[in-house]
This record gives sequence, structure tokens and C-alpha cells, in this order.
Amino acid sequence: MRKKHNSTQILIPIFCSLFFLSGCVPTYIFDDIMIIEGIGYDYIGNGKIIGTITTPNFVQGTGSGGSQSTGVPANGPMVRTLSAKTYDGKSLIDKFQAEGQMGLQGGKTRLMIYNKAMAKHGLLRQLSFRNRDPDLPRDMNLAVVEGNCREILTSNDYQAQMSVTQYIQNLIQDNSRQNYPETDLAKFLYAYYGAYMDPFMPLIRKQGDHLELRGLAIFKKDRYVMSIPNKKVFLFKMLFQKFNQGVYDMQYAHGKHIALRNVHTAISYYVRNGNSATPDIYAKVKVIGQVRQATPKAISKRTSQSVAKLFEKSLTYNAKALVHQFQKKGVDPLQLGDQVRSFTYHFDGASWPDRYPNAHFHCQVSVNIQQTGISN
Amino acid sequence: MAAKISEASKIGPTSAFFIPQAMQVGVGFISFQQIVTDSPEQDGWISVLINGLATLFVMWTMLSMLENEKKYGQADLFSLQCRLLGKRIGNIMNIVILCYICFYTITYLRGFIEILQVEVFPQLSTFYFSLMFCFIIWYVVMGGIRNIFGTCLLSFIYAVPVFLSLLFIIPHAHFSNLLPIMEHSPRAILSSSFMATHEFLGFEYLMFFYPFIKQTKHAKRWAYFGLLNALYIHLAIIIVTITFFSQGALQATIWPTMTYWKSIHFPLFEHIDIIFCIIMLWNLIPSTSVCSWAMTRGIKSICPKIKMKYSIYGILILIILITSLIQNGEQIKEVHRLLVPVGFIVVYLYIPFLSFIQWLKKRLSGDHT
Repeated sequence: MRKKHNSTQILIPIFCSLFFLSGCVPTYIFDDIMIIEGIGYDYIGNGKIIGTITTPNFVQGTGSGGSQSTGVPANGPMVRTLSAKTYDGKSLIDKFQAEGQMGLQGGKTRLMIYNKAMAKHGLLRQLSFRNRDPDLPRDMNLAVVEGNCREILTSNDYQAQMSVTQYIQNLIQDNSRQNYPETDLAKFLYAYYGAYMDPFMPLIRKQGDHLELRGLAIFKKDRYVMSIPNKKVFLFKMLFQKFNQGVYDMQYAHGKHIALRNVHTAISYYVRNGNSATPDIYAKVKVIGQVRQATPKAISKRTSQSVAKLFEKSLTYNAKALVHQFQKKGVDPLQLGDQVRSFTYHFDGASWPDRYPNAHFHCQVSVNIQQTGISN
Repeated sequence: MAAKISEASKIGPTSAFFIPQAMQVGVGFISFQQIVTDSPEQDGWISVLINGLATLFVMWTMLSMLENEKKYGQADLFSLQCRLLGKRIGNIMNIVILCYICFYTITYLRGFIEILQVEVFPQLSTFYFSLMFCFIIWYVVMGGIRNIFGTCLLSFIYAVPVFLSLLFIIPHAHFSNLLPIMEHSPRAILSSSFMATHEFLGFEYLMFFYPFIKQTKHAKRWAYFGLLNALYIHLAIIIVTITFFSQGALQATIWPTMTYWKSIHFPLFEHIDIIFCIIMLWNLIPSTSVCSWAMTRGIKSICPKIKMKYSIYGILILIILITSLIQNGEQIKEVHRLLVPVGFIVVYLYIPFLSFIQWLKKRLSGDHT
């Protein structure tokens, strides 16, 4: 017992002195740093870009009352943005440090957007640099912008009373619970580094005083090659992942529409002859949905079976057309190549880029309309 | 030399579960996936499974060897070697084992400091950190084996949220990444199974504290259970990693576990990876303490004059010095790479060999079973 007592007597001063060592590592106090929320890149040719960053400014002041009470900084005068010309692949945090009145920290970056020219130029430098940086979160959203990133990030005329970065992020994330496939940095890098697949991002545009999703921007490795429009995104997500709460609008005759809201969609793939010149890819899609809006007299409980057949036909046809479009361009955002690999022992990966356009895509969609609303 | 261990300083049979557990699930858990999936790609989990099952076999030889040894004296590795190989060779082997333990500690400590430097504090000084850390180790080790057992137990409890973090990955997993199963040659799978040794090292420390366990009969079950649990954790992590990363992305990632923690997002706090990194720091305390304690035991058995109280200073100073000598990531990688064959020879070859010698000796002396 006596010995124990002695050791504690020695230990207490030692442990107290350890607290002085904490000064060895710099501290970042929340009030004394500028947190970068969003980063935008506009390509201006010749390896040069215009980079824009936004930081929320938590100073109380000119924002509207409603936004203050929720703690969300108001847009406009409260968000500080910086933009300047630099070369591709440089960290904007280092670049703008000279212009920031406080230390810039990128640990909470929510969003990175690229304009179309930047995406066409290729994101190679951007991505290897993002993959290396341990500070950045992996769940940040990426997007391609039609138009100008700088304009989107610095505009003051949005209706939304929140910072533009949060606005864009909410736009992307809420839509990815519905028609849009889930996209974030981790998923983009998954497809970018993975073999036999290509990444994609949502495509956004500023339309007057608000932003809108225009569809998906499809990349070939790091370069933007094509986009698919908003109305085909349901098909894309249907072939890409299991989801619910999407809406598919079918025009079954001129001016006559039925909208199917799916409550469950599952996809399973099966591949035959994976190493032959023309592999057969079988996609089996199961859609369970409900109809809540339709042209008058288009659907009733009695006719729902035949309407389901119509949906099956339309979905199958359009899904095949979509895949065919990808095959023509030689891009594989649906990761079909990876599906073929997973079904084929000793998959011949070297010749896959040549075989991919010739692959037969068979799609079988079964639609089950669970309910047609509360009136006949 | 074989002083009786007082009943008060003994630990319960569950220690055979918690102490190897704390040693096995350590720093390697953050980084081993890339090494294991290097050649067998999606079949990496089979390699981990093979190695995990091999640990069960080694554990069986270890336990039977220690059980037989009880008749002749103290049942720990140091006195066992002296008895089986003769005093001189036995002591040389004891020193070799001491070097191995020291090497193991330094690899783990430096590996973790590297992760802290990369992910949390870029300016963290290796020397000051290991100095502060060794104060804690000193405090724990001076408290004796019961104290060390306590830290092992706590580190297991604290690490539970870290293991549960795997659940967040399941919705984003691509299970088709695991197919086709057994595509790679047995050679590729076995060679990466060899590389996975790094992950499962640590259960051999049971051989040092075995005489301190009460009711060793019950401890047996706990020991196997601990190994199975470590196997389960590693298998779960490797499968989740293979399904979460594409092969290309996995090969471009040094700490896959850290990287997928970055994808976990909560509304109220971000950077769960840093929180988990600090929790994993808790795991380092018991593993370093057990190592330092085993080293003091070894020194005491080689040279009974040196008391544990004094040898611990020398050991910790040695650990601090060598840890701060390893300066950059490339050297750390080399050290980690070296630990694999060394650990493989000591644990998977030398211990069964020792068991064989024991059996041979028993046969030759015509002992009454």
C-alpha cells in the first residue's frame, strides 16, 4: 500500500505537466477559422481555372429573422465568397489563404461543383488530389454545372433562405432519395478507380431565381462525355440500384399520361458467356408501385393489370434504349462490365472495352400496380 | 526463480478472451485490407479465414504445451524454453523472444502515431507523443497484471461502437464485388494469407501470463472464443471493405477503414473518423502494456536480480528511442513488412516446434504419460 501511495505522488505532477505539452499541436477554434463549405471550378482553357469558395459567416446581423432563429446563416451578405484564377489541381485552400482574414479549413466541405468545360477537360488532377487529402469528408456531393460555377455560388437572388452550398446539397440529397441515384465523392471515386465502370454526377443549372437538376452527367473515366435528361433518370436508377419513391411518367397515347410512383424496385443481373465476343447480360427488374395521377378514365382497379403491361413494355423498351445509348458511346455508368466480371471466372478484362458495345442487353421488367388511389 | 504467484495477483479465466483480443484487434485493423487483397483481390477474405483458422491450431498447441508444462514448474514461455532447450540456449531464445516483443510493440506504436499524424495532428511529434504515452504505460504496468487486464477489458468495451460502424456501410455495399469466389490460384490466396499474419499476431502473449490465470480449465474455452471473435471481426471488416471499395479504389487507399469512416455522416457531428481514431488509441494502451509487462517478465526470468520495477524504465526508454528513430512512412511500411515473416516464424513455426520438442522429450525420458 505504501508503495502505491508513493507512485501516485510522483504521478500527479507528471500528469499535470503533460497538460502544458498540449500547446505543441496547433488548435483550431471554431470562431477563429473560416470553414469552407463549397468549392467551384470553372475551366478557362490552357490548364487554368477560376476557383470559387464559399464560407458561411456566422456573424449576427443582416439576415432575416427566420433564418437567425434556426441558426442557419442567411444567404447574401452573410456568405463570403472568394474567387481567383489558378492552375488546375491546386488546392484552393492554399490559394485563398492570402485573402482570408482567418485560417481557412476544408474539413467540412459539403460540395464541389465543376462547370461543363472543366468536366470535359478532365478531373484527373482534381480527383487524385481529393483522394489524397485526409481532411475532406467522403460524403460530400459533386455536381456538374451547366453555365458558370462562380455565378451559381456568388448569386444573391435565390429564393432559398440558406447558404447556396446547403441549398445545392439539399437539392441533390433529397432528389437522390427519389428519382436520382445516390452520388457522393465516395461513390464517384468507387467508379472512377474501379475497372469496367464509369462514374457519373448530377447535372445542375441555375434557372432564374432557383436551381434545378437537369439529369446526370456521365463521365468516361475522368472526362465528361454525355448527359442523360431528367426524364430518363428513373430508368437509370432502376437499372442501377434498389430504390423506392421514384416517379415514372408514361405517355401511353398522345397527350395521355399515367404516373407510376414506385414503392419498391429491385434489380438483379445475370450474365452468360461473359468471355465471348457478345456477352449476354440479363437484367431482371421488379417494380411495385402505385398510381396516384393519371389522365381521367385511364386506369381503374379493373384495368390496372393491363396498364401494368403497358408500363412493362415502356420501361423495357426505354431501358434497352438507354443501355444501347451508353454502349454506343462506350461508357458504362451502370457498371455492367463489373456485373459481367462478377459472373465470369477468369474474366478477360483487356478486351472488355471492345466487347462492351456488342454485348446483348436483355431486360425483363415486371410491374405490379399495388393500388390506384381512392377513386375509380 | 519460480516464485509462487500469490492468489491476489491472479486474474480470472475471462482474461484469456480479453487480453489476446486487445492485442489482435489493433492498429492493423485500420490498414490490413489493402495488403491482404493485393494479389487475391476479391478472394482476400478467404486468406483471412485461412489464417484465422490457423491461429486456432496454434492456440491448441500452445494450450496443450502449457498444460503439460504445469507439472515441471512455471508454465510460461520463458521458463519453458529454459527447461526444454537447456539453460544457455533457452536464455538466448528468451532474448530473441524479448527482441520480438519489443519489435512488435514498436511497430504497433509507430504505426498508430503515423495514423494520428496523417489524420488528426499533422504536427504531432513522435518523440513527445511516445514519451507521454509511455508514462501511461508505466502507470498501467506498475499496477500489475490485474490492472493491465482492466485496460484490456475497457478497450474491448470502448471499441464496440467502432465495430458497429460497419453497419453504416452495409447499405452502400456492392455484394457482387465478392464474386466470382475462388477465382485466384491457391498460391495467391495462401501468400496473402501469410501477409494477413500481421493481423492475427498477439494471441501468443497468452504464453506469458498463463501462470497468472485462475482456473485454467475454463480459460481454454475463453481463449478459443477470443480467437473466433477476432476472426469474426477481421472477416467482417475485410468483407465490408471489399464490397464498399472497388478493387482499383482499394489499391489506391492506404487506410481503407479510415476512409470509409469518412463516409459516415451524422447530423450533429462530423468527422467520425477522428473520433474513432481516438477510440482506437485506447486499444494501443493495453497492447503496449501487455508487451512491456511481458518484457519485464522476460528480463526477470533471464536475470532474476533485476526487479520489474526497474527494468520497466529501461524498456520504456528503449521503446521511446526506437519509435522516434523511425521517421517516415516508407520506413514504417518496411518495419510492418518485416513483422510479417518474423511474427510468422515465431508464432506459427517456432511455437508448434517447441511443442514438438516437449512431446519428444517426454517420449524420450519415458515419462509416465
